[in-house]
Amino acid sequence: MNTMEGKDKTNVDKNNKYDRQLRLWGDHGQAALETTRVCLINATATGTEIMKNLILPGIGSFTVVDGQKVLGEDAGNNFFLTKDSIGKSRAKVATDLLAELNEDVHGDFLEEDAEKLLDSNPDFFSQFSIVVATNLCERALSKLSNHLWSKNVPLLVCRCYGFIGYMRLFIKEHTVFESHPDNTHEDLRLDRPFPALVQYCDSLHLETMTSKDHSHTPWLVILYKYLQEWKKQHNCKAPNDYKERNKLKEMLKKGIHRNEEGVLEDEENFEEAIRSTNMALVPSKVPSEVEKIFNDPSCTNLHSESSAFWIMARALKDFVDNEGEGALPVRGTIPDMTADSERYIQLQQVYRKKAAEDASKVSQRVQQLLHSIGKGADDQVEPLRPFMPSPSSDGHTSLFSSVGLISEHEIKTFCRNAAFVRVVRCRSLVEEYDNKSTKLQELVLHLDDEEPDDAVFYVLLRAVDRFYEEYNAYPGWYNDQVETDVSKLKACLTKLLQDWGLSLNIKDDYIHEICRFGAAELHTVSAFIGGVAAQEVIKVITRQFVPFNNTYIYNAMKQTSITLEL
Amino acid sequence: MAASIFGVFDEVTQNKIISSKVLVVGAGGIGCELLKNLVLSGFPDIEIIDLDTIDVSNLNRQFLFRKEHVGKSKAQVAKESALHFNPDAKITAYHDSIMSSDYDLEFFKKFDLVMNALDNRVARNHVNRMCLAADKPLIESGTAGYLGQVSVIKKTVTECYECQPQAAQKTFPGCTIRNTPSEPIHCIVWAKHLFNQLFGEDDPDQDVSPDTADPELAGEAGKAALESEAKADAAGGIKRKSTQAWAMETGYNAEKLFNKFFRDDIKYLLSMEALWKKRKPPVPLDWNNLPQDVPATTHQVAICDQRLWSVQECADVFAKSLSSLKEELIKQGEGGMLVWDKDDDPAMDFVTSAANIRAHIFGIPSKTRFDVKSMAGNIIPAIATTNAIIAGLIVMEGLKVLREEFDKCKAVFLNRQPNSRKKLLVPCQLEKPNPKCYVCAPKPEVTVILNTHKITVKVLEEKIIKGGLGMVAPDVEIDDGKGTILISSEEGETEENTEKFLEQFGINNGVRLKCDDFLQNYNLTIIIYHRDKLEEDKEFQIIGDVSEIQAKYLEDKENEDKQPNGLTEKQATEAATAVEDEDEVMLVEEEEIQQITVSKKRKHDEEPEVVNGDTVKKQRLISDVAEHYDDIIS
Repeated sequence: MNTMEGKDKTNVDKNNKYDRQLRLWGDHGQAALETTRVCLINATATGTEIMKNLILPGIGSFTVVDGQKVLGEDAGNNFFLTKDSIGKSRAKVATDLLAELNEDVHGDFLEEDAEKLLDSNPDFFSQFSIVVATNLCERALSKLSNHLWSKNVPLLVCRCYGFIGYMRLFIKEHTVFESHPDNTHEDLRLDRPFPALVQYCDSLHLETMTSKDHSHTPWLVILYKYLQEWKKQHNCKAPNDYKERNKLKEMLKKGIHRNEEGVLEDEENFEEAIRSTNMALVPSKVPSEVEKIFNDPSCTNLHSESSAFWIMARALKDFVDNEGEGALPVRGTIPDMTADSERYIQLQQVYRKKAAEDASKVSQRVQQLLHSIGKGADDQVEPLRPFMPSPSSDGHTSLFSSVGLISEHEIKTFCRNAAFVRVVRCRSLVEEYDNKSTKLQELVLHLDDEEPDDAVFYVLLRAVDRFYEEYNAYPGWYNDQVETDVSKLKACLTKLLQDWGLSLNIKDDYIHEICRFGAAELHTVSAFIGGVAAQEVIKVITRQFVPFNNTYIYNAMKQTSITLEL
Repeated sequence: MAASIFGVFDEVTQNKIISSKVLVVGAGGIGCELLKNLVLSGFPDIEIIDLDTIDVSNLNRQFLFRKEHVGKSKAQVAKESALHFNPDAKITAYHDSIMSSDYDLEFFKKFDLVMNALDNRVARNHVNRMCLAADKPLIESGTAGYLGQVSVIKKTVTECYECQPQAAQKTFPGCTIRNTPSEPIHCIVWAKHLFNQLFGEDDPDQDVSPDTADPELAGEAGKAALESEAKADAAGGIKRKSTQAWAMETGYNAEKLFNKFFRDDIKYLLSMEALWKKRKPPVPLDWNNLPQDVPATTHQVAICDQRLWSVQECADVFAKSLSSLKEELIKQGEGGMLVWDKDDDPAMDFVTSAANIRAHIFGIPSKTRFDVKSMAGNIIPAIATTNAIIAGLIVMEGLKVLREEFDKCKAVFLNRQPNSRKKLLVPCQLEKPNPKCYVCAPKPEVTVILNTHKITVKVLEEKIIKGGLGMVAPDVEIDDGKGTILISSEEGETEENTEKFLEQFGINNGVRLKCDDFLQNYNLTIIIYHRDKLEEDKEFQIIGDVSEIQAKYLEDKENEDKQPNGLTEKQATEAATAVEDEDEVMLVEEEEIQQITVSKKRKHDEEPEVVNGDTVKKQRLISDVAEHYDDIIS
């Protein structure tokens, strides 16, 4: 059973090589990475650092688009451009050295300016899973982002400018169900016990069992029983405030067995029941984030182009409105607790079985919905883009048994994560650049202070872009012009704020600082953004965790960062 | 672009960088990134040291290494790869332990800045002390999965690495491992001990046979067990012989070994009836009569690693791994031994199968090989992105340190995703030194609670002074006015003392021991606090702040008084400890994401997590959290 031969050998090697990350995002996360095609525009220090962090964990392939030649300062701050490559194609040199990082990743390059390529062959960019662009001027960025927006290709824009790091994500709609929120409640349903749970709890009798069994009854069962007792005494109502919950805890305390001398026995399961009372009494309801998804037009108005996510979301909503009686499908997991293995496993089975039943009801609804939009199992149609990554072509995963167009596995995963499904919609660049945008007013909240936060650098970078449009150079680029550039940049900033209709006073110190940067890319800032940006790309690719929305600014001087929605 | 990169830095910073000499301790995940960042930020003179060699599982993030480098020195290859990219840098590499006496005070004094890129607490403690002794600034860092942190340590200005009590090592009482396991981890620890008993170094602390000294067997039950022990010895005839010698004689016969460890020893355990009054008794297994109906995972998973094995499959793997390991041992010749390694397939197969067989016997859920590897190998997930972020932060802090702007230095914590205040990074003010720190205080003192009748000089030296207090080569004298030398760092000088108990030297409650570590240039006074019995049957307890211990035992006293209410002394102590532990240990939360099996804990995609701390105290030392895992089995 443990002999792996022939073609399995590569899988063993991969499993060993990727062992430490498989423990974070699992095989399905890895499978998603391995089928991803990433395009990097401009092999700057920031660009190559991002790619390094994507090639190491094993994306499928990458393509570098860059029309420039390697310059001296490139070799000085970019690990993947060496001194002896000065004068050669930046795209080629970077691709060669990046490809050395991982023999399983295919690297390719195109020696052409991204803006020109956009004019001549815009569809070139549509073939990628995601495009990462660094150091693009405003004009090129507008073209690129508008094109990719219309093609539904995610775009991550990154820039390191002196001590400032900047990222902006453009993604029309990104749906996640493995969102891994920081705090999650257990889904135990003690407030609305399902019949199988009632039946199981009723089959156990605390009064008549041996003391050994008594101290090894799972706390869930104990709490259920005392809750029923409480309800009997209180008009069928559960304790609903602090005082009442404490009274219930008192009742539980009294249930602990005593030995012959009247000393309390050491019954950890009762202690656990008392400790878990507050948590377990939190009512099971549909989280507001999920409600929002249910009310989203994409959910309420399914059509033949609806994605798997929205079909499942709709099935989930219909489930909640009907057989779920207002509640999501049972998650099917229970926490660790003091108990004998036999009853722990029984209890676990009760929850798991209920979860499977709920998921199969959702599944039926999914099939009905598919049928209703002409994508049923019998309909001759193009398959939907799978939501979960499909197994890689070498057949290394066979987790997914596909029934119809959305696999059972996907539906089960969806149901298990029902409380955590999320939709992220970023605003487009057109919306961001709209001078009447309401988001601009929000900026004021960040800046209208003696000590503005890092949002000030967003405004300054926009002023820098204006400077570039006007003078075709960056402020402070030439050492002997720093002083004149300061006043020019100040003028650009004033105009920008006027256009926005904002009256803000941004200190001159910031303008001097920006001019001193001279658009230089510091390696250590690039290294930081390289890590953060690659992590966001991985979130988007694996659909695990929620990516930032939509602007991120890092201030290396203060080691602070901020996320803004612009 | 015309402006030189250097122009961004002011002149002072530029000069500091050009004239600097820095040390990077560790050439792993953070070390590789850091070396690159330093070279490309213009640091002209860098020394890097690492004891390790390159493993396949490093390649997903330690980008200076390639497949063809596997097995070579990390420090050396890191240097060569970095130079290949940038031949101008001056890099000196050492393939060595930073704890070696070659790296003494003089060595540390050469540097302007020391940066740790380590993965274990022992070395971190040591470098902390060396930097304090040499009065050199130290940047400490660590990552675990998506989380990371960076902090600056400067003598007399900030907290040192050891100013706050470090999370207690997670160990399991011997009798839980040997007699009454209740969780998968207990079986895994046992299986690792079994590996060492059969193939590795003999360590009496890693006995795998039933433990007749179990405190639960006190009184009558104990007597019965002791009687039957004599019987068992007679029957088995192997107790007095080393397990390894016996196994060797059988030719590592799978059936014989299986029946001893999983049948006879279990039957013997069953004879200790007191243990099973309140527990479900274990069920012995017989090699020739294995249950065939125990379902493995029905779920079709192609990867063998992530599928649960049936008992029969476990037995097959057990037999197969035994024979591979036997071959390996024989290859080593006379006196050879194997060291358990999670990346060695037969060793991993052996532990997985043995742990799961034992789990089956005790009715404990079994674990996949993938999960066992995490638990047995103390694996901390690691990815390129987090290391890149942290290494970027380290250099930014380093620049402030070179400018000696310690007031601007920060401890920075990296969250998994922007927190509720939309911050991915949380910079915190550095704490002032703890005046009662037993490492960086002007006259460091520490209290050790122990039973002077039961602790030998050897245990004092190995477990307490070296293991617990992190000294490398201590000299210890009793502060009794006569200057009696108890332990000498000179080999052989105090050998006659090693097996004697402390009370034989007149060491009792309140006696002070003066410890001196020449290498670390560190003097510490240990105050002995004698107690007949320690909580949770610990051998000893190290308390940094004396007021803590007084408060604590006062509390115990109160709880003891409460006994009529029903709490025993043990429970009360436990309760007190639990409360105390909460601050540190409860920060580590394991998140359940995918429940594939009946497993009670631990999933493939979990990680040690810092709950929500925005403050230094709460988020303190993820590295330690990570290490908390390191320490599970060591």
